Amino acid sequence: MLDILYIEDNPDEADIFRRLISRMEHPPGFLILSSGSEAIDYLLQQGNYQGQSTPLPHLVLIDLKLPGHNGFEVIQQVRATSRTCYLPLVVYSTSDNPKDMRRAYDLGANAYLIKPESYHQVSEMMRRAIDFWLTQSQYIP
Amino acid sequence: MKVTPDLTNCEKEPIQWPGFIQSYGFLIAIDPVAFTIWQVSENIEGLAGQPVNSLIGQPLVNLQLGDLSGSLLHDMLVIAMRSGTPEAFNPYPLKLHGRDWLAIVHRHDGALIVELEPTSQLYGGLSKPLHTLLAQAMSDIQRSKTLAQLLEKTAQQIKQITGFDRVMIYRFGEDWHGEVVAEAREEHLVPFLGLHYPASDIPRQARELYKINLVRGVADVNEPRVPILPVNVAQYDRPLDLTHANLRAVSPVHIEYLSNMGVGASMSISLLYRSELWGLIACHHYSGPRFIDYPARQSIKLVSQLLSTVLEIRKDDEDAEVSGRLHDNEQALHQQMTADWDVVQGLTKHPITALDLNEATGAALLFEEELHLLGDTPAPDDILTLIDWLKNTTSESVFQTNQLPNLYAPAEGFRDKAAGVLMVVLSRQMNEYLLWFKPEQIQQVSWGGNPDKPVERTNTGDVRLSPRKSFDKWTQTVRNKSLPWQQVEVALALKLREDLLQIVAGKANQIRSLNEQLRLANEELEAFSYTVSHDLRSPLSSIKRYTEIYQEDYGHQMDETARGIFDRITKASDRMSMLIRNILQYSQVGSSGLTRRLLPISEMLQQLREELLMGETARTITLQIGETPDLEGDQTMVNQVFSNLLSNAIKYTRPVPEARISVRGMQSNQEVIYAVTDNGIGIDMKQAGKVFELFQRLDSAASYEGYGVGLAIVKRILSRHQGKVWFESVPYQTTTFYVSFPRRIS
Repeated sequence: MLDILYIEDNPDEADIFRRLISRMEHPPGFLILSSGSEAIDYLLQQGNYQGQSTPLPHLVLIDLKLPGHNGFEVIQQVRATSRTCYLPLVVYSTSDNPKDMRRAYDLGANAYLIKPESYHQVSEMMRRAIDFWLTQSQYIP
Repeated sequence: MKVTPDLTNCEKEPIQWPGFIQSYGFLIAIDPVAFTIWQVSENIEGLAGQPVNSLIGQPLVNLQLGDLSGSLLHDMLVIAMRSGTPEAFNPYPLKLHGRDWLAIVHRHDGALIVELEPTSQLYGGLSKPLHTLLAQAMSDIQRSKTLAQLLEKTAQQIKQITGFDRVMIYRFGEDWHGEVVAEAREEHLVPFLGLHYPASDIPRQARELYKINLVRGVADVNEPRVPILPVNVAQYDRPLDLTHANLRAVSPVHIEYLSNMGVGASMSISLLYRSELWGLIACHHYSGPRFIDYPARQSIKLVSQLLSTVLEIRKDDEDAEVSGRLHDNEQALHQQMTADWDVVQGLTKHPITALDLNEATGAALLFEEELHLLGDTPAPDDILTLIDWLKNTTSESVFQTNQLPNLYAPAEGFRDKAAGVLMVVLSRQMNEYLLWFKPEQIQQVSWGGNPDKPVERTNTGDVRLSPRKSFDKWTQTVRNKSLPWQQVEVALALKLREDLLQIVAGKANQIRSLNEQLRLANEELEAFSYTVSHDLRSPLSSIKRYTEIYQEDYGHQMDETARGIFDRITKASDRMSMLIRNILQYSQVGSSGLTRRLLPISEMLQQLREELLMGETARTITLQIGETPDLEGDQTMVNQVFSNLLSNAIKYTRPVPEARISVRGMQSNQEVIYAVTDNGIGIDMKQAGKVFELFQRLDSAASYEGYGVGLAIVKRILSRHQGKVWFESVPYQTTTFYVSFPRRIS
């Protein structure tokens, strides 16, 4: 069962994400994709994913700076497609630039999380975000 | 009836159809087809032996003029008319009472006009054969080096040919008053050379006539004129038009004018320059009548036409020389401005300046709000006031006058420098003007008689229209005038204006293109900042996080020393991360957009006070907020200014037992100033230069955390707001940072 789709190109970030998920009491199911283009193909069932039944996640966590299509383009594509237009989309980025935040919200992001620097802060943020989006606010695709 | 005492009335006199001829000849006007007589001069009566009215309407063949038969005259005219241009064969020699006479024929006013006039033998012959005199005249013209010399030789030649007592060359000014510029006279006569005569001496319609009929004369001032009868031409209801008739009687006013001068006979020959009357050759005879016959008149006409041609060529040469030099200078100025890429420098800082563009003696350039002066000019304040007056006086791009004080009274104060002004408008919007000045020429003008007193009063006190009686030299001083501005001077001023505007426009384009480059560079910088924030911070985060993870997983196996080492790694990566954040902030101040609006500073300061004092519970700090005038600025940036100044105040008052910090604003018409004061460690003024430099830290601050970025950011933000930042400090007593924001930023 797919709870979280995490779009992230930095292997360290992905590794730390895997680690903190594994330390959770009830670890959610997740998939990590390392490029924007692949994420779009997956969510829109096109390209390599054409004809496959790709389960939709309950939450998409997305980095902004990605190879191929960047995070903003992914948000735009997701919001423009009827299958995914109500999917909970949370930006998870190092950038604290207000311009990036405004742009993400303008394109339809549901939330914007700035990556903290310390591991403890990261794991605390992830725990609370996952709790909020998967337990408190359950969206059935 | 009251007569208006104004000699310009002369201008209304129809001098081309006076209805009279001079008495030395006879005039017959005939029907050019039927050869019947329309009009004759009254003196024909004596010659024909029958009353004039009996001749009118008769065929010419019936006329008998003494021993001259009408049929001879008739046959001659028939042949003349057959050629189509009877004027071409003038004169037609005749014998009248055994003497040589000439018939001069021309067609005008619908009539064939026949004038009979004697040959010169009647009044004495010429000193030399005509062709010899003419040849001499031509060689003199060729040999003269200057215009003055040429005119004088011509006057002498004409005097020799005609035998007049005085021959003057009279030159018209712009206002049509005349000046005697050359003279040949009998020795006993008072010289008229250099005298001026008012324009009314030769009225407008006379000048018009002189352009058509180049030679005319009065053979004897004292002889009564002879009427032409009947008075009116049948078909016109007015007298015959005598424009081209040599016998035409001149106006009685002119006869009176000549008599007043003591002139017995006169002749004048027109000098034309480019179809306009340039001057006259005026001949006066004082010792009785003088008649110049047709062949001599033709010769003089030839000489005058020759002189006119030479005038044109000479004047063209002179103009061409001056104009060539000025054009070269204009070219040079253009090149200088282009090469310097600077209008002011190009016009004022080389051997050739704007002053070499014309004959002006001073020039002023008001450009980019600065006044630059060249040569002899009025005082700067006078020039600025003059420009204010000029720009409201004219809406044209060029203005010129050679009598400024007569238009603008304050100019009398500096007429010795600027009685004449030529101004070109560079830009009304930018208030940019270029002016040239010519000084006053105080002229002593000598008039042939007082020109203001042309009117005579009779004994009874009635005003009578009459030319003046006295032609004695009368000197007048003319003030407030400079030399006039020549066509070429105005033309070149306009050309220079075009060159200058082209350079100004070129510069504006260059600035636009530099701005565009700057904008692109800023965009690149922003992209770079983004990369820095992301790419440098990500690996740093990894270092930090894995250090934490290592401590979490293997911390229990580590001893004190190992834990200490890990602490250092964590702290170093914290510092680096803070540094990157600061650099990013600093660069964003320069590159990100600025949104100005009126900011409620009071709220901003209260919120900052709350945030900043939150972590300082262990100390006694009073942060007092005074007057808080609103100011216009970018909210994020202004917030950062106060945040940085207040955190510094908090940071550097740490060693003080009771920290007292205050922030208060003041406003004037131009600016809003905020002052942040503390009683902290302060700044040694010896190191004042370093305070706002990026990454510069003072010795006294070495033990405090920081990277030397905060105040550099403050300075950068203020400079982006066209504001200022400065400080005063007495260490451990009072240190104040001031920031000033301009009001009403456009």
